Amino acid sequence: MLRYIARRLLWAVALLFIVMAVIFVIFNVLPTADPAQLRAGRGASVEQIEAIRQSYGLDDPIYVRFARYVEGVVTEFDLGTSIFQNNAPVRDIIFDRLPATLMLTLGAVILWLAIAIPVGVISAIRRRSLLDRTTMIATLTLISAPVFWLGLVALYLFAQDVGLISIFPGIGAYSEATTFMGKVSAMILPWIVLASATAAIYARYIRSQMIEVMSEDYIRTARAKGVPEGLVVRRHGLRSALTPVVTLLGIDIGVLLAGNAILTETVFNIPGIGGELASAIGQSDYELIQGIVLFGAFFIVILSLIVDILYAYLDPRVRYT
Amino acid sequence: MRRHPWLLALLALAIAIAIPACGGDDDDEGGNGASAAGETGIPEEFAAPTAPPENAQEGGDLTVLATDDVDYMDPGPAYYQFTYMVTSAAHRTLMGWQPDDTTEPSPDLAAEEPEISEDNKTITFTIRDGVKFSPPVDREVTSADVKYAIERGLLPGVATAYLPSYLGDVVGFKQAQKQAQQNPTGGAPDIEGIKTPDDKTLVIELERPTAATVIQALSLPISAPVPEEYAQEFDAQNPSTYGEHVVFTGPYMVENNAEGELVGYKPGREIRLVRNPNWDPETDWRPAYLDSITIREGFADTASASRRILDGSAQINGDLTPPPNVIQEAAQNAEPGQLTATPSGGNRYIALNTQAPPFDDINVRKAVVAASDRVAMRNTRGGELVGSVATHFIPPNFPGFEEAGGVEGTGVDFLAKPEGDIELAKEYMREAGYESGMCEGDCTVTIVGDGASPDKETTAVFEDALRALGFEPQTRGVARDIMYTRFCGNPKAAPNVCPSVGWLKDFNDPQSMLQPTFSGDQIQPSNNVNWPQLDVPEINEAIDEATLIADEEERAQAWGEIDKMITEQAAAVPYIWDNQVNIQSADVAGVINLFNANWDLSFTSLKAE
Repeated sequence: MLRYIARRLLWAVALLFIVMAVIFVIFNVLPTADPAQLRAGRGASVEQIEAIRQSYGLDDPIYVRFARYVEGVVTEFDLGTSIFQNNAPVRDIIFDRLPATLMLTLGAVILWLAIAIPVGVISAIRRRSLLDRTTMIATLTLISAPVFWLGLVALYLFAQDVGLISIFPGIGAYSEATTFMGKVSAMILPWIVLASATAAIYARYIRSQMIEVMSEDYIRTARAKGVPEGLVVRRHGLRSALTPVVTLLGIDIGVLLAGNAILTETVFNIPGIGGELASAIGQSDYELIQGIVLFGAFFIVILSLIVDILYAYLDPRVRYT
Repeated sequence: MRRHPWLLALLALAIAIAIPACGGDDDDEGGNGASAAGETGIPEEFAAPTAPPENAQEGGDLTVLATDDVDYMDPGPAYYQFTYMVTSAAHRTLMGWQPDDTTEPSPDLAAEEPEISEDNKTITFTIRDGVKFSPPVDREVTSADVKYAIERGLLPGVATAYLPSYLGDVVGFKQAQKQAQQNPTGGAPDIEGIKTPDDKTLVIELERPTAATVIQALSLPISAPVPEEYAQEFDAQNPSTYGEHVVFTGPYMVENNAEGELVGYKPGREIRLVRNPNWDPETDWRPAYLDSITIREGFADTASASRRILDGSAQINGDLTPPPNVIQEAAQNAEPGQLTATPSGGNRYIALNTQAPPFDDINVRKAVVAASDRVAMRNTRGGELVGSVATHFIPPNFPGFEEAGGVEGTGVDFLAKPEGDIELAKEYMREAGYESGMCEGDCTVTIVGDGASPDKETTAVFEDALRALGFEPQTRGVARDIMYTRFCGNPKAAPNVCPSVGWLKDFNDPQSMLQPTFSGDQIQPSNNVNWPQLDVPEINEAIDEATLIADEEERAQAWGEIDKMITEQAAAVPYIWDNQVNIQSADVAGVINLFNANWDLSFTSLKAE
């Protein structure tokens, strides 16, 4: 087991190095806008731009810049500085935004699993019933609704500041909240919006997995041996059906932590990684984009590793080889 | 990376009016700031208030909603309209702009109007008594603090973009610039022509008689004092980290801790301004009614943020501009005063590359300008309230505007009909050698513009004009920064047309509008802002001469004439003189600063309940 984890960790490090190299090439060899000009500002003279280029080492050969970047990341976790945010270190910006993204992601994950598992299971065991058909139509509708549209509709219906019916805290409420419970309250609407579409996808996925599992021979055997139906579903059916869901979940959490909650964060003005990424893209703040992408890659690699280990634990057929 | 074009569109819309390079405007009327609707297109009921009510109440907390952050908290590199909203409340520059100042800044950190020598080459400022730095510095400001503030702007780690343009004539400037480049972390270089004979006197010596321009430029944040003994350790880093430890001299300051670290500033999230305990109201013309101001950032959806301001309490807009549908709603339903519009002192135009075919032929340029429907172009940005249709380049209520022909224009026939004149356009095409009045042969026209709304819609209107004359537009929509740094600002890669450009004044002088953008001497191999690459010796010469004129009337006349000369060249299609639309909650008694075309935090108050 330890050997397996060590080998996977080494692979993760190698993968992160490759990701770092690819990101560096994209933003430094093929930049779409000149970082020195962006930092100098409009109207700056050629001399000013050149002075900035020299003082930031932007005129050094690419391998020197890459070595410097790797050294900074490895030794000090230095991801550079943001051009458009007061020269703030990218690392500090990410750590400042991380709690909001973590809270948004974890809350949404709990909510979508709480919805998707019962809906998926009930739809599978009551196949072709009215309940099954209704929930499947509902899930299809939610999957089809873009998150930003859903977010805006939710705001205009239920937000306390701009909504028709004042129920939930509105845009910017997370930043304004000063207590943990205040922040939780500010997250209710974003959680619902972010969880809706994903819960629908998971519900359909769990339903199809359950249908497949419930027709397996060992389920028939369990029933033949007189195991109560509830136990068959929970212990034998659901456990097998959820195993591939764990893989999906790990990747989804990683992707959300990497900034993929961009739309939800933007619509509700939650100061998270996704909103920051949107702002950085809009301003061509390359060091910040590069830092966030690398940080996101780190999350995805780590969560993939955790999922693989967990998968092996859940499914005895998978060996630590 | 670009999977969410709707989001970029929102962001672009929000920053559309705030072109990086400051903003604001002036109004000859002063007082209540009522702008003549004829010039600016602003109806009287939406005119900007420029004075607080007589019974303005003290106290309260105001919230400012913004999409993006200030560009820099450090006043040295600060060069953005939204940033000026903060710096004007938190710093005292040598000269400052009172809300209704229109053409001349008022002495602020300076005790009185500066003395100018007869040859216009020496300026002497006297520093006001009793102005102190906020904690932890806690001492009175001296002339050396202003000298250091200017000199540190040359360090690559600070890099004040406009310094060479406006203070390049200071004696010893170029040597100091070289010194800073050679040793970027070795401390601010000495500029020989900035002298401090005593703690209260600052003398600036110039190589050319450009005192008038230098004095206006010293109303920008570069002249906000910086204490060297405190800032030098931050300036020794590249980039400077003074922005995380700024000290202030204005009525407000960003909340800080005992070490001076700005704990009230969370980049991209929040700026919390509190009262500066060392500010003495006896030394200032700002009333500073509010107790505190919280700027909340990240409101990318400008529609919901605007509604929150209009329906909420104690809120105003920062950099965000309400989208056209919200403006329309507010114009009809909001309470009087909640929606205001102010001339921003900016223009927008479609630049035609005068150095490459087909627009190296002035008659082709005139034809295209004549064929353009400038009303439709203006309407893509939201209609009459967001600005009037431009007929030349100096904006309304600006020195030189009337001299250039005012609203009516300079008299050129190809700009006479704002909806376009296709017959006249075809005549010009015939004069250019196209007998049919339409383009023949290779008629491809390359266009690189901002791919987000509303610029892409403006470009589409312009494409129609090109097609009407037989041209084949090949348009590439890209992100704004890419458009500037890779294409339009790079003469070697410049397309035939840059349709998404415009300029906001740096200060109320026509030189800041026309010299960077139309002088052939200003064309540079990168970061070029003379987008049409207009290089006409007569115009360059006239600009050189006009920069040296000190007399206000003569100066306005000269720049008005230059505007006419530029317009006659048909190097661009001017289509809007921008207005800045601002909104406030019903319980806010907001005051607009005409220079910055945005709320003046030091004059704004909350209404009595």
